[in-house]
Amino acid sequence: MAVGRRDGEAGPDVLRRAGEASVLILVSLAGGAKHGYALIQDIKELAGVELGPGTLYGALDRLERLGLIEPLPAEDRRHPYRITVPGAAALRVHLDSVERVSAAGRLRLQLGGI
Amino acid sequence: MDDAQAARAARAARLVQVALRCYPARWRRRHGDEAAELAALLIRDGAPPRSIAFSYLAGATRAWLTPRPVRRLSAAACALLAAMCLLGVSAGLLTSAWPARAASTSQPSQSQSQSQATKASPRPHCEPVPDVTGATSHPQVIIQAATHDRSC
Repeated sequence: MAVGRRDGEAGPDVLRRAGEASVLILVSLAGGAKHGYALIQDIKELAGVELGPGTLYGALDRLERLGLIEPLPAEDRRHPYRITVPGAAALRVHLDSVERVSAAGRLRLQLGGI
Repeated sequence: MDDAQAARAARAARLVQVALRCYPARWRRRHGDEAAELAALLIRDGAPPRSIAFSYLAGATRAWLTPRPVRRLSAAACALLAAMCLLGVSAGLLTSAWPARAASTSQPSQSQSQSQATKASPRPHCEPVPDVTGATSHPQVIIQAATHDRSC
């Protein structure tokens, strides 16, 4: 069973090379707008990953440049972000791709009796 | 004990401040205050200040190395402008060179050039062709003289 790229079905997977931090941020923002500290806490609870603040801001800048997230008006010194419509679509495409790979991997493990 | 804690906190804050100063100014203007506050919150939660400073240092390196879209756009605009200038200059040179060359070869009067041509080398293929259309023969002779100078 071959696991090929099926990018043509729902657009290209722009998050394929965006890195884990970007995907985790998008997953977190899919649950609602958040600022930096709330994002770090949510991702820690969600995936058990502690994002460094430098990594966080780098990923936020990259995602904003790609138009996948957008900043909301600042609250005091905190800048909340929210996921955009293209961001949600890109996340859906990426999660579908990961799901296919995951299903294929489980099936192979099952067939191989490992 | 309190003094030691305060000194440690001050040292951690200084370390983070130094790391944040490594970011480009545009980044500091946008995220600087929030990043300092975030670092303070993380340190309060028990994160080691050194790892936070290191994370910011790595982020600053990435921020300097990542090309800004504006910079990329301005580079493309500059390249386009330079290409247009080059094209304009070369087109200008071409248009200015052709009439000048033609004029330089047709400077001597028609009779003078004809007599020189017949005296020097009476080659039939270089002689002006008679105007069969009936139009004025002046420009035709000039062009042929120029052609003659170049080809012979």
